[in-house]
Amino acid sequence: MHAPQQKKTAGKPIWPRIPAPFVRAMLAGHSALGLAFAALIYLVCFSGAVAVFTNEFNRWEQPTAPVLHGVTPAAVGAAFDEVLARNPKAHDLFIRMPEPALPRLSVHGDDAKGGEHTWFADASGKIVAEQRTPFSAFQARLHTALHLPGSWGFFLVGLTGVALLSSLVSGVLSHPRVFKDAFAFRWGGSKRLQEADLHNRISVWGLPFHVVVSLTGAFLGLSVLIVGVLAMVVFDGNREKVFALFSGPAVADDPRPVPVVDVAKGLSVLQAKHPEAGFNYIFVEHPGETGQHMSINRVTPGKLSRGEMFIVDGNARVLGETGFESGNVGMAIYASLTPLHFGWFGGWPVKVAYFLLGLGLTAVTASGVAIWLARRRDKGRPAPRWERVWVAFCWSQPLAYGVAAMVALLAPGAPPVAVWGGVTLLASASAFLWTPQVISIRLRLASAVSLVLVALVHLGLNTGRSVDPVAWIMDASLVLGAVLLAASVKLTKTPTEA
Amino acid sequence: MIGLGGLALAPLALGGALLLRRAWIHADARRPWLIVGGWALLALAIAVSVPFLGAARGPSIVLALASTVALALVAAGIELREARRKAPRELALEPSDRRRVAWRGWLRGFLAGPLGGAAAMAVGLAVAVCFPAEVKTRLIIGGMLVPFLWAGGMAWTLSDDKILRALAVLVGVTVAGFGAVFLKGSL
Repeated sequence: MHAPQQKKTAGKPIWPRIPAPFVRAMLAGHSALGLAFAALIYLVCFSGAVAVFTNEFNRWEQPTAPVLHGVTPAAVGAAFDEVLARNPKAHDLFIRMPEPALPRLSVHGDDAKGGEHTWFADASGKIVAEQRTPFSAFQARLHTALHLPGSWGFFLVGLTGVALLSSLVSGVLSHPRVFKDAFAFRWGGSKRLQEADLHNRISVWGLPFHVVVSLTGAFLGLSVLIVGVLAMVVFDGNREKVFALFSGPAVADDPRPVPVVDVAKGLSVLQAKHPEAGFNYIFVEHPGETGQHMSINRVTPGKLSRGEMFIVDGNARVLGETGFESGNVGMAIYASLTPLHFGWFGGWPVKVAYFLLGLGLTAVTASGVAIWLARRRDKGRPAPRWERVWVAFCWSQPLAYGVAAMVALLAPGAPPVAVWGGVTLLASASAFLWTPQVISIRLRLASAVSLVLVALVHLGLNTGRSVDPVAWIMDASLVLGAVLLAASVKLTKTPTEA
Repeated sequence: MIGLGGLALAPLALGGALLLRRAWIHADARRPWLIVGGWALLALAIAVSVPFLGAARGPSIVLALASTVALALVAAGIELREARRKAPRELALEPSDRRRVAWRGWLRGFLAGPLGGAAAMAVGLAVAVCFPAEVKTRLIIGGMLVPFLWAGGMAWTLSDDKILRALAVLVGVTVAGFGAVFLKGSL
């Protein structure tokens, strides 16, 4: 940071002049939409920034599970057989194999009572522990479905993505100076100017990221609706026919009993055909039935893609592939959406960039509402209650996440979503107690304390044990986040309300 | 190491951002060259990433890293102002003042939400059903168009003061889109 920048002399503008009435109309639409969706966009952006590290949180939350950098088909087969033996009537099982981001071998399936479990296996395929990662699951589901039932959550998140995308369009059109002022960042002085600089600078330089995550997120969220309408108008309401287009070779359902599929053999056949590839998961459907088959996913290093999926029948015969990588342009686009949305395509540098840019988008949302509130104040129509509520809601999230993580570590049986909801409500209730600035400072400090406590609790629970090294990096990152939050309080200046 | 290739290109992006910042600070005769040079370096980073990091993956990595680097540069140039001193007013336009009429508000919300969504869905499905390309490509492109068009329609209907015009256009697009889908009838 430094004090006043060198005075910028006015140059001849290179951008075409946009008529003022158009800009004013766009601003009105931008404000209306932003305000209507502000809380949802904020929540989805904040949870999305955290969700970039879903794999790392999985490793951090249960760091003593075996870390494997490779696994043999025999070990995969053994793990599958052991889990299936616990419930021979399992309808399907999902096997995750080690990959750089998540070096674990796990098998997911249901038990005889219908309860779902995931078990970790060691390098020999022996089941060694049950997966217990409630916080990781909580934060991922908060981002993808807001913990709402059925498809409602996906739809609402998708609609939020549409609103965000729309805000980007109206935002660019309603801020003709956004490129002209591309490097102006003034802090202090006028509250409105300060928030506007923060809002506009992050918006313009993060624009490619903002467009990508909002478009892919909206599509992923709305896909259920799009598929439903497509099925209704083209396939007489049969959604399965739409999904079948993207599922590769079909295997007819046939419940007659046969010996269970040899998972190790199927994987070996594919590994022999693609020795350079990494296989990251297997979905085994209807094991022990004539119609049993496996969907085995292969990751191609260096590709922006979720991977190629092979369909293997009960006799370990490869029937074909879905065409995510070998098919047409549409399939290639489809295969790239999830990694592109979550930043899972370029290793840790891209994950860190996505995390920071995601927090930036969260700040853009927060500052957008702050600008509207400051504008009201400037016009002599202040909304002090909303000023307090908005600040309290924004700063409730790091605290709610911190407390939810701590409870998940200490009491894995407690539902993190209930803890998160309770803390969000309590923190938001601080709007009744203090001024916006006091709320901001106290919630930031409380968040910092909660993050340090999470790291300390995690260290206390795992010190002296054989632990995935990523867990220590996560602990250090939590402490760093706490330090930055505390430092932000120290650096807080009091902007005038002009 | 996965992803370190992207980091190797980050200095190019930083160089581009630095040139652009210099052009922004000094509005002298060199300014156009600095702007061209800045954008050229950013474009070069993207171009170089294609052979090294992949046609789709490379530019995606560079864009993510370049955005982060540029924002870091903006943050590094923060100008601290006196908290208690009133800053000079900036010339920023105000949103247009609309008459607050309840039915217009509800209608505007209906246009931006359900009707805009229906119109976007109609166009997306029309592309999915009628566009001359392979079925899966049509479906994905048509599907991707839905959020994009819905967002565009939302931005337009919320800002257009002629609300009945927006209503007529969206109804027309919806009828035309679904009409085309039903006329063709199958993929």
